[in-house]
Parts: sequence; C-alpha cells; structure tokens
Amino acid sequence: MTKVWAIAWKDLRSTMRNVPALVMMLVAPLALAGLLGFAFGGGDSFEIAATKVALASEDVQPAADASGEEAPPLAGDTLTGILTSEGLKDVLEVTQVKDAAAARSRVDDGDAAVAVIVPRDFTAALYGSGGTRTAVELYVNPTQEFGTAITDSVVSQALLGFNGARAAAMAAAAMAGGGHDEAAQAAAAAFVQSGGVSGALVLTDRAPGAGDDKGEEASAIGLVLAGMMIFFMFFGASNVARTILTEDQDGTLPRMMTTPTPTGTILGGKFTSVFLTVAAQMVVLLLGGRVLFGIDWGSLDIVTVLTVVTAAVASGLALLVISVVRTPGQAGSIGAGVYLVLALLGGNFTGTATTAGTYATVQGFTPNGPLLRGWDAAMRGGDLADVAPDLVVPLAFGVAFFAVAVWRFRRRYA
Amino acid sequence: MSVVEVQGLSKQYDPPTGVLAVDDVSFTIERGEVFSLLGPNGAGKSTTISMLSCLLRPSGGDATVDGHSVIGVVPQDIAIYPDMTARENLVFWGRMYGLAGAELKGRVDEVLELISLVDRQKDRVDKYSGGMKRRVNIGVALLHRPRILYLDEPTVGVDPQSRRSILDGILALRDQGMTVLYTTHYMAEAQELSDRIGIIDHGKMIALGTHAELVKIVGEEARVDVTVDRALDGMVERWKGLRGVSKASVEEDRAELLVEDANEVLPRLFEEAAQGGSRITSVNVSEPNLELVFLHLTGRALRE
Repeated sequence: MTKVWAIAWKDLRSTMRNVPALVMMLVAPLALAGLLGFAFGGGDSFEIAATKVALASEDVQPAADASGEEAPPLAGDTLTGILTSEGLKDVLEVTQVKDAAAARSRVDDGDAAVAVIVPRDFTAALYGSGGTRTAVELYVNPTQEFGTAITDSVVSQALLGFNGARAAAMAAAAMAGGGHDEAAQAAAAAFVQSGGVSGALVLTDRAPGAGDDKGEEASAIGLVLAGMMIFFMFFGASNVARTILTEDQDGTLPRMMTTPTPTGTILGGKFTSVFLTVAAQMVVLLLGGRVLFGIDWGSLDIVTVLTVVTAAVASGLALLVISVVRTPGQAGSIGAGVYLVLALLGGNFTGTATTAGTYATVQGFTPNGPLLRGWDAAMRGGDLADVAPDLVVPLAFGVAFFAVAVWRFRRRYA
Repeated sequence: MSVVEVQGLSKQYDPPTGVLAVDDVSFTIERGEVFSLLGPNGAGKSTTISMLSCLLRPSGGDATVDGHSVIGVVPQDIAIYPDMTARENLVFWGRMYGLAGAELKGRVDEVLELISLVDRQKDRVDKYSGGMKRRVNIGVALLHRPRILYLDEPTVGVDPQSRRSILDGILALRDQGMTVLYTTHYMAEAQELSDRIGIIDHGKMIALGTHAELVKIVGEEARVDVTVDRALDGMVERWKGLRGVSKASVEEDRAELLVEDANEVLPRLFEEAAQGGSRITSVNVSEPNLELVFLHLTGRALRE
C-alpha cells in the first residue's frame, strides 16, 4: 500500500502544482456558477424582479346628492391600497404620482413598465345607480410583457372584486325595496358572466414538492454549482487519468515497471490518485459554494456519501476513456466529447427539477442525472432515504467503469 | 560467473511482417564486467535492453538475469518528473524500489552526493541543464544499490564536461564491482569503458570480444583518409593496385584506404597522385579501432 500511496501522492502534488489544471478544476465551476446565479438574481430562489408601476389615482368624490348621506370612501384609494399592499411588494414596486401625464411620462422615460391610471369618476361609477361605466387605464411599455401581464392580472382581480361587490350591493338594495331593479339585475348579470371572483386578492403558492415538508428549499445557485461541479469533475479526473498515457510516452511509467513494483500496484496508485484528486476537488468546490454563495449543501453524512459516489463516477469514467485511447491528445478530444454529451443528457446545464417526459427518462439513465437529483434532495434537507434511490444508477455506472478500465489496462500492460 | 545470459534473443514488432529489431542475439556478461553493445542508431541496442529489463516480451530466445530486484535501469530518454525537485524524484523512485524511512533518506543523500547535485537538490528538475537531468536519471537507478546496471546511451545530447563526469562515474562503479551493460554508438566510449564489446547492426550481433580481439578482425591495418584536388574515382582505382593497400573506397569527398604500414604507403600515394595529375590536399592516418572494425564488417561507417 505504501507504493500505492506514493504514486497517488506524487500525482496529487503534481496536480496542485499545475496552475492551468487548478483553474479548470476549481475556478471555472465557481465562476460559472456565480455568473449564472447572478444572472438569475441571487442565491435563495429563482426571483423575478418586481415590476415597476407608476400609479396615478385621479379619482374624486362624486358630487353630493340631496340625501345628505355621508360620502363613500374613495374607490381609487381602495385600489391604491390593494396595489401597494405588503403581499404584493415582491411583485409590484409602486410609485404614486400626481396625475395621468406624470404616470405616462414615467413609462415613456423607462422608469416604469406600466402606468395604472384611475379615472376621476371611478368612485362615482362604482357607487352610482345610473349604470355608468368607467375604466382603469393601463399604459404599458410593450417590451415589458411579463410585468405588464402581472399588473394586468392584479388590477383585473381587484376590479372584479369591485364589480362583484357592486352587484351584490345593488341586488341587496333592490330586494330590500321589495322591487326588481333592472340596473341591479344588469350589474349582477355582468358580474356572473365575467366568472367573478370574490374575496381579497390572494397569491397562491406553488404546489408542494419533495422535501418541502422539511421546510427547506434548494438554492438556485446551489443547483447550478452542483451541475457545474460534476461537469468539471469529469475534466479534473481526466487530467489526472491522462498522466497514465503521458507517463507511458515520457518513459516514467515503463521505468516504474522496471522496479520491483507490480503492475497492479502501479495502476492501483494511478486509480487512487484520480479518485483522491476529484474528491479533493469536490470538497474545495463544496466549501467554496458555502463560503462564497452561502449554499447549504445538506447534512454532513449525506454530503459525504454524495461526494464519494460522485468522485467514484467521475474517476471511473475518466479511467475508462483513458483505457480505450492511445495518446493524451485522443484522451483530450474524445474525453471532452463524452463529458459534454453526458452533461447535456444528464442535465448538468438545465437541472433536473423542470425536465419531464423522454428527457427526464434519459436523465435517469445517465451516471450524472440521478446524482444531480441526489444533490437537489440533499440541499432540500433530504435524508439518506431520500437520496439513496438516486445513488443506485451512478454506483452501478461507477463500478462498471472501473471494471472495464482495469480489464483494458491489464491487457495493455500485461 | 555470468550474471546475465542471453541466448538467441529476438524481437519482431507486429509479426509476421513487422520489423525484426533483434535477431538471434547471444552474449553473456560476467560479474563485475562492463559490457558494451556498440552499434549505430536503430541497430537494436535499446530493444535488447528493454527485453532484459522486462519491458518488452521477446519474440524468441531466452535471457537470464541474476534477480529482478538487483537491476538498475538508466533509460536512454530522461525518465524523471520535471515538476519535482531532484530530491523529490529520488525519494519517489526510492519508494518504488522498496526503500523507506531512514534508509531511504540516507540513500537519497548518498546518491545526491554521488551525482554532485547536493546544492541543487531542492530545485525543480525542469530548471536543470541537460547534463544535470542526465545525472538525476542515472542517480535514480543507483538508489537501491543494484548489482547490475543497464545504461542505454546515457551521454546522448550531453555536453563534453557532463559526458566526462558520467563516464568517470561508470568507471568508479566498475571499480566498486558493479556489473554494467552499456549501449552506445560512440566508439570512444565503448573503447574506454568496456571489458568486452558486442558490435550489433540491423539486430544481429556481428562481432563480440575484447577491444584487442575485435581490432584483430581488421588486422594491424591503419586507415588513411586522403583528399585530392581532382575527381577521386580515378585516383582510388590507381591506389587500389599499390603494394600495401588492402582496401580503397570513396566516402563522400575523400578516399578511405586500409594499409599495412602507413609510413611505407604514404610516399607511394603521393607519387601515384602526381603521376595521375592530381595533388593531395589532406592526409589523415587512423590506427586500427572499432570504427574500422565496423567498417570492415558492414561496409558502412559506425555513425552515418
């Protein structure tokens, strides 16, 4: 075993002195994950930036009638209250302006995506009995389709509520008067035809998923970094495994075989160095993700198991590729192709949570797809029972890769 | 007592039509002897050593070596790790030879002293000169105190000072009782170092013996190289017929003659040249040596 460790340590030290290799193995995945995470707006979740809204309420109290009744509250103020409520703060960033012109101006200047303009007769139309119709105007930036749609939805919900309340009030008044009020009937009919929704405006949360009952949520950047980690571990493993071929060409491998060191020991040392290097790479990336991006990878025991299995898969795959090629150049080009295809099929660039159908099925039969699901489950606070099913396929691949690599190397160096 | 016995050793790459690199080579090496394999590039020297080092499987024949663990191999190409220091290289290779602990440390110190790299032991090998790398290359093979040392052209590409240092080191090892198999295409090295020499060409052993025995193959004849101011072919034909000239040929821009006694033949050469209307512009006399032996046996120069 001493010779195995001597060979493994020699290769590990060589990797630590190889700056380009370290950049590829450590800096590249962290940088890519950071850039992608930054592009998606942060590390906690997939956040959508709040839509900037310019709100101008020109609503005024209707003229007092002869009944002497107290004037109703301004409906425009009610709508303003809805749009600026706490529950919508993550979705709408509302700036109140003095009038419609100012609101439109903010949209034209690019300071807002949408202007919501409440007309002067909003309250009068809501509380009047004459069947007056009015409209809340949305002045939009046509390039901000997403924000416009959200604002439209919120305002429409609010107006639906107003219409429903009006229809109910008019029907109640007609019933109290013992008569049949045509206006009330028309308002009620219009409300019904619109498929009215009553009640306060509510944002519905998404449906619960795996691990949600534990109260955890996998961070977006964590999922990105997990995909990048596995992808770059393929290259990290290849970099070390390729030394079998370079040492063969340089003469140091044949020289090792002239020493009283069995071929099996030499290959065992090389295999050990590949595994240890990618395991170390993973540990550094996990720590980097924790320190730089605040990623919570999950419990230590689960992370350890996932690290070992991921390292075994990456090193086994790299050794298999090396065992079938003849030169370091071939290892570089063929290996890169293999790793890229597996990364695409396994979801290293797309994740596994949002895939479905045939693609999801294919992902499940790659060595890296189930690993990504395992990491996802770990970050959601999953335990071994949650992660274990995702380790079966990768472990099987890892064992098969090693077995074939050993067989081929023994034939080559017999 | 033979420590290396080689009998009918052969190696063919990609049989049945591939190159026959070594063809029925036989020799023995006695304990404490320096045995050289002398031959031009591509003669089969490195292939022979690779088979004796168990790096190549022979196609035929047999080789017996006095134990695998007592062999040290110095390959022709420098086979050490350039991103490691000399000390790190020696420590690693020492471990491959089964050394450990204090024994390993002590032996590394001794070898660094032997190869005169104590002061540079902590520098990375990729910062060394070619001669220094060669010394580390040799030092690695000496770590485990081998009883037999194979050196495959260890002075190729080395400056004269480093070459001298390497040759002196080998002579010192011989004096300490080391058995050495040395391959080279430099006649002078084979002549200086060796107790016995095997001349190999195109995979075949064409001559084997001590220097004195081999030189006798060409007799006592000296080689005379002559250049003239006119076309050589005609002069060479005239000189061939002179008494005392056993062989004459044209090599590039000069005539090469084998003569019994240079002092006797030279005046006749000048006379014949004058009669032929030519003027001799240079004369060089070489006493019998291995170059001549190779030329005699193969019709070609040792280094072409």
